[in-house]
Amino acid sequence: MSTAVNVRRLIVLVITLTAAASAAAAQTTDDFFAPGTLNDLRLFMNSRDLQELRDTYLENTYYQADMEWRGIRVRSVGIRSRGNASRNPAKPALRVDFNRYVAGQRFLGLSSLMLDNLLQDPSLVREGVTMALFTRLGQPAPRESFVRLFIDDVYQGVYSAIEAIDAAFLERAFGDRSGNVFEYQWQSEFHGEYLGESLEPYKVRFKPENHELEADATLYAPLHDLFQEVNRENSPTWRESVDRYLDVTAFLTHAAVETYVSELDGLLGYWAINNVHVYRPTGSTRHHFIPWDRDQSFQAVDSSVMLRVADNIPMRRLLEYPDLRAYYLQVLETCARVASGGGWMDQEIVSRANLIRDAAYADQRKSNSNEEFEGSIAFLRAFAANRPAIVLAEVAGLRSAP
Amino acid sequence: MNRKALVSVAVMLVLPQLSFAQEAPPQQADDHASATNSERVWKFSWDNRPSLRYGDLLRIDFRARLTGDLRRSEASLRDTDTSRFDIARRRIGVSGEIGGVADFQVERELAHARPWRDVYVDYHRFNGVRIQAGQFKLPFGLDENTSSANLDFVYRSRAAELSPGRDPGVMVHGRAGVLRYEAGMFAHDGDNARGNDTVRVSGGRTAAGRLLVQPFRSSTSLLLKDLQAGIAYTSSRVSAGIADLRVDTALGQPFFRPGLAVQGTRSRAGVEMRWRPGPFSVQSEFVRLTSERRGQSIDETDLPPLRADAWYAQGGWVVTGERKAKGGADEPRRPLFRGGAGAVELAARIEAVRLSSSGPGLPSTGPRAEAILPYRDRVLTLGVNWSPNRWVRVQANLVRDRLSMPTAGDFAGGALPERAASSFWSRVVRFRFAM
Repeated sequence: MSTAVNVRRLIVLVITLTAAASAAAAQTTDDFFAPGTLNDLRLFMNSRDLQELRDTYLENTYYQADMEWRGIRVRSVGIRSRGNASRNPAKPALRVDFNRYVAGQRFLGLSSLMLDNLLQDPSLVREGVTMALFTRLGQPAPRESFVRLFIDDVYQGVYSAIEAIDAAFLERAFGDRSGNVFEYQWQSEFHGEYLGESLEPYKVRFKPENHELEADATLYAPLHDLFQEVNRENSPTWRESVDRYLDVTAFLTHAAVETYVSELDGLLGYWAINNVHVYRPTGSTRHHFIPWDRDQSFQAVDSSVMLRVADNIPMRRLLEYPDLRAYYLQVLETCARVASGGGWMDQEIVSRANLIRDAAYADQRKSNSNEEFEGSIAFLRAFAANRPAIVLAEVAGLRSAP
Repeated sequence: MNRKALVSVAVMLVLPQLSFAQEAPPQQADDHASATNSERVWKFSWDNRPSLRYGDLLRIDFRARLTGDLRRSEASLRDTDTSRFDIARRRIGVSGEIGGVADFQVERELAHARPWRDVYVDYHRFNGVRIQAGQFKLPFGLDENTSSANLDFVYRSRAAELSPGRDPGVMVHGRAGVLRYEAGMFAHDGDNARGNDTVRVSGGRTAAGRLLVQPFRSSTSLLLKDLQAGIAYTSSRVSAGIADLRVDTALGQPFFRPGLAVQGTRSRAGVEMRWRPGPFSVQSEFVRLTSERRGQSIDETDLPPLRADAWYAQGGWVVTGERKAKGGADEPRRPLFRGGAGAVELAARIEAVRLSSSGPGLPSTGPRAEAILPYRDRVLTLGVNWSPNRWVRVQANLVRDRLSMPTAGDFAGGALPERAASSFWSRVVRFRFAM
């Protein structure tokens, strides 16, 4: 490499980084994920890559792109199609990795960002409202903000930009950057059964999001132990043993929030466990479940707070303890009071809908009509209005039951 | 060495002795030739190899080659079971002459993804002009165009890896005084640039030419007579897509297979020299491959071309004194079991390969990177070749690879590249039987 090229490259880099740094200095992730924000996010990519991404949207092939937000241009990011049922060629759900091609590169300190195409939710606001409720209940949940996404200056529609469960998230949520994080991979219905001595069934279900190079025993043995302990015969030490591998109160809180919002596809989902990340603190064997992808909440205003509770093995067995059952019901009651207090949930729905209404109307790639958008918002508002009373009544009934 | 290796080596050593037993004395072979010229009947003979003649109309030589390797490396190899004896090649073929105006060759690997190797006819009716058609190596690269039977080392150089290799085509070649020329048109830019990944793109129709000069060819000086230098060039178009280029270690392990988007002209330029005074040999080559990246940036402007450079310099000494230009160690003056111990040659090669793109933009590892920081492999190979007779060769090579690739620090923009380097030794012993 000639000296002249090196010097030229150095000058370009210094200018680029200085410009990016000064623009970024005024901005943080708090600005990006600020409630009530509709961000304009621009991706630039070669038209051939964009066509290939649309043609092969079921594959996880990465493409190089530039991303721009409020004058901050992040160069050479990696983007790929993501999701399961939400994958779509016209409005692809995307994962943006800032360090895919430039080692160590970050955007506002984030190493990656998910762009949810919101195709499974005609209201477009389910996920945001659900995650807000998790946060209100003190459960760490990824932050999100609405985005008007442009690719090569062509409007792609309303997306939700979701914070990745990465080191920055762990630092913010748990004060521990280096704990283990796994993304749950749905393989078949799994309710928390013991899957045997081999680590392989755990390996295919829990994909490490960090520490990928660690030995299988280090990564998966604590998960194996969790489900082994959960499935042991009843004994005086069962609860203590499970408590070593599971943050029990956090688990029950997670389940209660989900149940309150009548989630179809989560921890107590219709298809068994799905859409969760699992965090394990550094030097600990205790697991903590983190919600993910909640655009199928708000299914039925009158769904029981005990719906599918018996199907989930850890949930069923934990609720056999009176104090834990009382705790679960208490969290449900708290959910109802938080959601209804000052019309909080209704305001969350309405403010989000108002924020994105124009952008949603202009979104030609969304899966539903504008009328369906309005109808779905109306349904959610009715849910917010009626759900507290239904839940409180059922909770009262369960408390008084022998 | 395991049982398979011992059996293979034993077969290699014994087979030639059997062929000695069947070999006709030189005078008798001449008699065969004169008889067949006039009689035009089918005659079988076995000199260096089995041969069938039909008068002076047709000669068919039967060829076979078997090679096996024993490899060990400090680096992990794709084939991790390095302790076993690996039958690297089982190749059969025929070659010969038709009517005194055309040579031909057909060669096939018995177990290979691309079994057909050289399949061509070389028409030589006219003085100074020969026309060759079929599948054969493009006229580019000294090391690449040296028969594997005559290589001084087990593996070809990195420069040969950047050379095109084989493809179907037509070539005009010949000699004019001290000049030798080769020029042709081929379907693609060779099988070296084309992996098994059909999604990746390689060169289309390719023009290739090579010009060699042997300035002292007519000299009576044995010292200078063999000195040869040359240049070569290829050019082809590559359609838009991900290039199937890679950089391998000396033992063929890919350490850099960039998924880089290319489009435009792919060209190769090469300079070569060879000198073989007596039992000594010196050879060197430089190859530069350039692949344009037209319209491949994110905003569809041109990116700086992708460039791969490779060079080597090698030397050899046939300790037992055989003249290198006359077959060298492959033609031992005193074969094993015939009054001698065969021929022994010592050889050494230094070489390097480097792949990069020297654009002014932000370096990255992306397929549309504006600047690609260099990936390098520098290799030292030390070798001993032993040929107990003309059919059998044992080659032992000690190879040191020194890989160098960009690290995260390179992309931070501040300091000049802090590089991740790793070096490792490998050793390989190859047993070869050829006739």
